[in-house]
Amino acid sequence: MPAANANAAASAPVAGMKVHPLSTRSVCDEAFAAHTLDFEVATPDGDINGFESNGSGVGAGDLNGDGLPDLVFANTAGPAAIFWNEGDFQFRKEELGYKNLRAVALVDVDADGQLDIVFTQRYGPPLYFHNDAGSFTRINLTNVYQPAYSMYWADLDGDGRLDLVAASYNAELSKDRTSDFFFKYLGGVIVYYNKGENVFEPQKLIWDTQALALLVTDLNNDGRPDIWVGNDFDLADQIWLNMPEGWQAAMPFPHISHSTMGLVMGDVNNDGRADVFASDMKPYDIGIKTWTEWLPLMETMRKIVPRNDPQLDENMLLTQDPSGKWQEVGRAMRVDASGWSWAAQFGDLDQDGFLDLYVVNGMIDKTFFRHLPKFELVEQNQAFHNDAGRDFMTEPKWNLAASASGRSQVMSDLNGDGRLDIVVSNLRAPAMIYENRLCSGESLEVALRMPGTQNTFALGATVQLKTSKGTYTREMRATGAHLAGNEPVAHFGFPSGAVLQSLLIRWPDGNTTETSDLTPHTFIEVTR
Amino acid sequence: MIHTLEAPSQPKPSSPVLSLLNPRETTKWFALTVPIGLLCGAFGIAFMKFPLWAAVLALLVAVMPALVIKWRADGMKYGKRIMLISILLTAQGLHSVEHVAQWAEYHVFNFTLRQSNGLLSPANAEWVHFVWNWVVLFAIIAIIASGMRNIWAWILLFVAVTHTIEHSYSFIRYLQILSELGSMGVTNISAQGLPGILGRDGWLARSPLTQGTIWCGIPGLTTAERLDLHFWWNVIEMTFTVLASHVYLSAKFKVQSSK
Repeated sequence: MPAANANAAASAPVAGMKVHPLSTRSVCDEAFAAHTLDFEVATPDGDINGFESNGSGVGAGDLNGDGLPDLVFANTAGPAAIFWNEGDFQFRKEELGYKNLRAVALVDVDADGQLDIVFTQRYGPPLYFHNDAGSFTRINLTNVYQPAYSMYWADLDGDGRLDLVAASYNAELSKDRTSDFFFKYLGGVIVYYNKGENVFEPQKLIWDTQALALLVTDLNNDGRPDIWVGNDFDLADQIWLNMPEGWQAAMPFPHISHSTMGLVMGDVNNDGRADVFASDMKPYDIGIKTWTEWLPLMETMRKIVPRNDPQLDENMLLTQDPSGKWQEVGRAMRVDASGWSWAAQFGDLDQDGFLDLYVVNGMIDKTFFRHLPKFELVEQNQAFHNDAGRDFMTEPKWNLAASASGRSQVMSDLNGDGRLDIVVSNLRAPAMIYENRLCSGESLEVALRMPGTQNTFALGATVQLKTSKGTYTREMRATGAHLAGNEPVAHFGFPSGAVLQSLLIRWPDGNTTETSDLTPHTFIEVTR
Repeated sequence: MIHTLEAPSQPKPSSPVLSLLNPRETTKWFALTVPIGLLCGAFGIAFMKFPLWAAVLALLVAVMPALVIKWRADGMKYGKRIMLISILLTAQGLHSVEHVAQWAEYHVFNFTLRQSNGLLSPANAEWVHFVWNWVVLFAIIAIIASGMRNIWAWILLFVAVTHTIEHSYSFIRYLQILSELGSMGVTNISAQGLPGILGRDGWLARSPLTQGTIWCGIPGLTTAERLDLHFWWNVIEMTFTVLASHVYLSAKFKVQSSK
């Protein structure tokens, strides 16, 4: 049963605060530079069948404690792989002998201080690989037995341990397992409460789900993390509020995306309240060519919209007003259309103090796009520059409009220069790293550690940086977007010359720590 | 040319528009042709797999003789200028029924936008509305040229011109997309009902030229669905058609009454 972890705020003493200077920017440009990785999400016979077009995920995190984030790619037909970061955008590839994988999360499951790897599978339960100083051993998570497509790790019941929310993509399960009599007992949205020693206690919230995305964050500002399942097709997204009496289904949003492909949270207007972007499918321009490519698909879309259906066929940007009421501003802020969108990520790419948005897109499908060469809807990834929280503008100058079929992505400072780089997992095309060479602004990176607890990377904590130019809020999370594993590091960008005033950490148990000993262009590791 | 509206001995009618639209002696023709048209349409749907638009077309074809008789009678009674106004009012009224049907499909019966095509438009929404708006525009120009000049008529002309531009833009895009689809070997896609200049996802809302300008901030202009946009556009056009006709016909009645 969920329980409140919104304890009255108390000051938490910190055991230490290490400050590492970030490296100097070796290159300064107005655009990102593309690097190709020797990795490609493959399909069994080079063709696309069923839901292989959904691709696989990518995760980032420091797996060997060398201070550089490594990369982990899931794969469907080919083997998954770790790319060990050797600095200066050089990576050493190590293949893992596992296929048919979907999502990636780099989480310290066993609380030994090292990030482990968890994958979801196309047809099976999540796979857990224990990290022993860079060597990985597969270990069973007791009672985690249901197939899942999406996952999210967070402390849901306030006991200090990381619980797992896993949700299945039933369309895929039913398509590929039509003869399975027991199919209806498989999958669903399941909360696995962590009881320690890799033992979990499952609680199924619902069976009927098409979960392409999951988000766990506090949606009603009561201090408890809630669950948002982003569903494909006509099935509306499912939201459960974490109430003292148990999980309570709710729909706090005026509108939601119809085919939710990804969910990502961030504070786009720096008001201190969480905002959420949900990606969906909608042509990003009104050109004849674009509409021609999309029309055969549009003909197949739903015929009848149920009364009071909150779903719209476009991206959603949901923000909160001062009273905490959610409002949809995607169209007003011009992020409603980004093509056949999959993973979206927020990050202050140009370090002006406002979270920008990057969306990867494209589709390959023999049914919907048989009129197109290689059945592929070729689209350009969309980079949106956040204009002071008022508006988003596509930013072609950043050179991020790649046309490979992107499915998942993470943002991480791969070379430790304080700028967020982007890693994209593409379907049937090499994975890409987009090296951030933008010159503007400065940054501060924050990592949290809670050794001796069951949540060593303080997932769920919020970090608020107050500067003379604004106050910026981030949440520590290990999963998000579409199939992506985020690095548990908070990146703050801010305009050059901004005075850093304070850093307020709200730990997962509600206790707070505040420090004002801050220097721009540093990486701070706060240990409690 | 005949310029009398009503017999000099008759009082001025309270609503000259309704007076003009009154079928009068042609009522019996409508009483005969409307049921025939409805029966033909119903028969077509039941036994010949008529789509709805074909049944509606059958009704219109059946009623057309009665309409022609009515308009001919108007012409003989009031003159060609007022006969034109009668035709315009009738036709716009019927066109309004089409938009009301679309509106009901979307807002009452919860059809999707692409399914909410009304009664006749499923035949081909782009052709129907493109041809219709140009015919209406020419009719308005002809009526104004022949003497119906008042402030409402000029506003009506402006509304009709902009409406025709909107449909022409949509029609050109429709033909371009059809051509592109054809080159890809796709021939079973209707490509109708796509956004035009105004409304949600229209040129004004999505063009890089307008981004960040005041135009994008005007409520409705860049946010309304095409169906709603054209419903209200039609309401406005119909309103000004009635107002312009009312003012013009009232003046005619006044002249006639003073004689």
